[in-house]
Amino acid sequence: MAALICEIVYRGIFQKNLASRIARGIVLSARKSGRWGIAFGRYGDSPQRNGIPAKDFAIVADTNEELEQNMARYEPKHVDVTICVDDTLAKGVESWAWYGLQPINRLTVPNGTVLMTSIQSFGELLKDIHRKDAPYKLALMRAKASFSGLWVYREDHTEVRILGALAKIAPAFLSLDGVSQAIAEMDWGSDLKVASARKAYERLETREVTMAEGNPEIPYSFEMPKWWEMREGVTIPAIPIGKPKEEGKGYVPERNPYFKKYTTRTMRPVVNFDTCVKCTLCWIQCPDSCFDVMPDGTYDANMEACCGCGVCEAVCPVENCITMVNESVFEDNASQWEMWRKDKPAYQVWLTNKIGDKQATVRSHGFRFRGQYEQELKTDLDSGGVEITAGIPGENAQHKTV
Amino acid sequence: MAESTTFTNATQILEPFRGVKKVTLEEYFTSGHRTCQGCESALVMKLMVKAAGPRTIVLGSTGCMYVANTTYYTTPWVVPWMHTQLGSSGSAALGTAAGLKALMRKGKMKAEPINVIAFCGDGGGADMGVGAISATLTHKEYNSLILLYDNESYANTDIQLSGMTPYGAHTTFSPPGKAKRIIHTRWKKNMAGMMAAGHPECRYVATVCASYAVEMMNKVRRALTIGGPTFIHSLDPCPKGWDYDPMLSHELGELAIETGIFPLYEVEDHQVRYYGKTKAIVEGRERKPVREYLLKQGRFAHFTEEDLEYFQKKVDEMWEKWEIPAVVPFRRLEATKAALEVK
Amino acid sequence: MAVATRPAPAAAEDKELLISGSEAVAEALTLADIDVVTAYPIRPYDTVMQAIAKKIANGQLVAEYIVAEGEHSQFEIVKHASTVGARVFCGSSGVGWAYAMECLVVTPPLRVPMIALVGNRALDDPGAFGVEHNDALFVRDLGWLLCWIDTSQEALDTTLIAYRVAEDRRVFLPLAISADGAFLTHSQALTMVPPKSKVDRYLPRYDRGDLLLHPDNPITVAPQANEDWVIEIRRQNNEAMARASTVIEEAYAEFRRVFGRGPENPWFEEYMTDDAEVILVGMGTISLPIKVAIREMRAKGKKVGLVRLRWFRPFPTDRLVAALSRAQALGVIDRDYSFGSPFGSGVVANEIRAALYNAARRPPLLSFICGLGGREVTLEDVYKATDMCYGAAKAGKSDPKTHWLGVRE
Repeated sequence: MAALICEIVYRGIFQKNLASRIARGIVLSARKSGRWGIAFGRYGDSPQRNGIPAKDFAIVADTNEELEQNMARYEPKHVDVTICVDDTLAKGVESWAWYGLQPINRLTVPNGTVLMTSIQSFGELLKDIHRKDAPYKLALMRAKASFSGLWVYREDHTEVRILGALAKIAPAFLSLDGVSQAIAEMDWGSDLKVASARKAYERLETREVTMAEGNPEIPYSFEMPKWWEMREGVTIPAIPIGKPKEEGKGYVPERNPYFKKYTTRTMRPVVNFDTCVKCTLCWIQCPDSCFDVMPDGTYDANMEACCGCGVCEAVCPVENCITMVNESVFEDNASQWEMWRKDKPAYQVWLTNKIGDKQATVRSHGFRFRGQYEQELKTDLDSGGVEITAGIPGENAQHKTV
Repeated sequence: MAESTTFTNATQILEPFRGVKKVTLEEYFTSGHRTCQGCESALVMKLMVKAAGPRTIVLGSTGCMYVANTTYYTTPWVVPWMHTQLGSSGSAALGTAAGLKALMRKGKMKAEPINVIAFCGDGGGADMGVGAISATLTHKEYNSLILLYDNESYANTDIQLSGMTPYGAHTTFSPPGKAKRIIHTRWKKNMAGMMAAGHPECRYVATVCASYAVEMMNKVRRALTIGGPTFIHSLDPCPKGWDYDPMLSHELGELAIETGIFPLYEVEDHQVRYYGKTKAIVEGRERKPVREYLLKQGRFAHFTEEDLEYFQKKVDEMWEKWEIPAVVPFRRLEATKAALEVK
Repeated sequence: MAVATRPAPAAAEDKELLISGSEAVAEALTLADIDVVTAYPIRPYDTVMQAIAKKIANGQLVAEYIVAEGEHSQFEIVKHASTVGARVFCGSSGVGWAYAMECLVVTPPLRVPMIALVGNRALDDPGAFGVEHNDALFVRDLGWLLCWIDTSQEALDTTLIAYRVAEDRRVFLPLAISADGAFLTHSQALTMVPPKSKVDRYLPRYDRGDLLLHPDNPITVAPQANEDWVIEIRRQNNEAMARASTVIEEAYAEFRRVFGRGPENPWFEEYMTDDAEVILVGMGTISLPIKVAIREMRAKGKKVGLVRLRWFRPFPTDRLVAALSRAQALGVIDRDYSFGSPFGSGVVANEIRAALYNAARRPPLLSFICGLGGREVTLEDVYKATDMCYGAAKAGKSDPKTHWLGVRE
């Protein structure tokens, strides 16, 4: 192996700066041992959207010629290490300009590594990660996904911990000393960050994944029409108008058939239909028209269309009626309303279980007020810059803004 | 060559929705667009066309609501929709309305009122396209609505500042640096006021915010019912460019009104009518301090107390010194007032 | 489309009028019953808008006449009117056409059959009103159909043909009719104007079909596309341009049937080329001094001919090669420039060089730039060019360098 190709799969905007630091960090760390390198973002992901999956790449090689050899294509077709900085992407990646779902390990070479930040177990993650026709390694760095916005960065050490972990995975290209040296020289570097990188190196958990393991589902794909099959005049048919849910009651809109929001969200609303007052606010304020109107006047968040913004929770006037819960605790995209209609007591148990999970309802979607990130991270940094899991617990909207 | 008698210049009569329960269930802008989590502008699109109904043609100028909504081979639009160039929302509205009118009055197309709505972002509308919008607002014989969705930057291209970006905001063209904290020192344009003041035959101009969905839709319905060229300015919180948790889109919209930074009003046949929480402010309710709004957004995270004070002072002026508070910034000289009174 | 029509009745139904090229276009637009027209002042093209305004004011034409606030809006307005099914007309000159450029670029992929009159005018700076072809040539690579006219009669006829070609569902492309500033737009000539009944037989209604933007045909037009789609869309455009050649041939044949006049060869006019040793090539009103000079030279025994190109896009490659390759030398006179191009030649010269590249016989070709900014093309200029062509014919080869004629040196 004379070149190391890494992809960084991340949440658009929320992790744009984080991914850029990682990609640059890989190249600058490898440079410490005389390697050549390039870091770039996938042009097709631009302009990025909050939450929509995006990719950066970092390639390092022994010589400039080997580097060029790996750059002479639009983007790498195979990567040695897939770095994923949000474990809800284990369910797959439907990028901005992609029709269909890419498994997170799709580009990972046989016996390559998927490096993920997660506090889930290997077993839980492998329920989501699609099966691959070759064995590979799953390496976990224990942390919650680090989200911030474009202008204020959340200094929670995720980028240096990834670099430390990578030194463990690909020591031939990134030595721990090289990584430490590069971090110290960054304008965002510090001794504490070097310490974090070294701890991540030591604490990385890795496990072999066989071909039999993983989610057996065949991901949705899309076949591109030929030029003469496409309509002329750059036209496409409009979406048809929707129809009543059943027996002339309720309303379900038709939806864009080519782009589902399954993987654009990191949290989803869980609705308590028993306490819903049918005020319509979640439905009318949803920018994604994801709420179907049910025959009884309640609203069912359709998981095909929900991108997980949380506005519905914010506008809902009833406490705990809509609660955003981390995507990792769900195994399917089934209708909550149907589940509720079928067996109300069972739904109550399911609901209580989901919204009672304090870890899954912690919200971390970027900036809420000045000083927030420092407040969330202070204790952890004092204790040596290790696992950072803080966020803002996601009870109801009025409690969320400080 | 005689004009066909089947043609009328009528508009659809769209009565206001009397309460949220009366809002039509059908969606004419539906799911599957690719906007950001918590995109208020996508909500504006949904509400705008929900208010307008199925006999509507929508024209969209380049911007987020073009690129993110309609990515080739996919669309969220149920009604006919067409792209227009960045500075062309005015021309698109005018051309579409004129085409329909010509064909109907000449009997080449069934005569019926079809709503024509062209939307533009703040870049396309208030910067590049302001001339074309202005021209369209003088063509009183064509029915069209121009809706400016203002997320206060060129959010689609990478968050560059526009003429509508607030003072001091962090954008990729105005990054706070070590030597200069505030790069963007211009005050935002007063678009709705300018459109209302500058076009004597435009019968309807309104400002809206999608945080108040029903009122927002009713302004759209009013504009389309009145007919002729009309203009609506919508303030849309943008989680990407303003840097905040997408969940807060709704709340930030409310705060923009409650702090008095963005007033809600409509100008119908030259009568200014404040509504919603802006009306309450006019009637004496205290404005919330601007810091409550500004400090919830990463784009103002670099503000010092001095910057906050300056911002507050400028907003205070809008309310305390403008001839028509928060709408028209002129001030008459005392001597002029006196002279007019004598007359 | 190929609409079957009855044979032409007697041409006596035509009215003879003394009108300018611009007025002739306005007559044709009235006959074609256009629906939406947008105007903005810039000379020389805007004489057509003045003529249309009169037609509307006098009740001869019912159309939405919109005075735009600039050329960008002018073209964007008719683009949108066309998408809802209106027959539209627009136009500009020089930097006005340049100002509209963004809106010119988008019409071919949108397949908008807009007809525009370009009153050819030199580009700024310096501000100049005289003719140069560089303005219309801006769009030569973009999917616009481009033709040049020479007389008021041709202006009228070509306008009718233009709608028939552009609005053919196989084509649906924008079409610019270029008319040399002042020579054609402002001088009045005797012109036959056909009756409306004939035009109605010739020109079907514009039917936008499945591309119509209307609530009864809900479509999304021009969603943003990434690299997965754009080349396919360009390929479609290329196909439409290729189909336009057939449609143009049909449209001229049909024109002759209905109106009893019009050229056999739509693509270019050949003047005394049958036995020509030297063939001069040009576009637009430059043909007038060339034809006069040819007659003078023929009187002195020089067998010179002219090919006046009518259609530049689609470029009539095969027919042109057949017509030109039999000469002993060619002289291409460009009323445009292309700084830094191969040999510094004008646009037409280099297009013809490219067309001849695979020809079995390639006569020496001389390239001339002449008459820029509306400078008169004199008989002496033509004699000089012809002499140089004879020199090349004799030598059997040509120096590829470009010759500027009529420049003070």
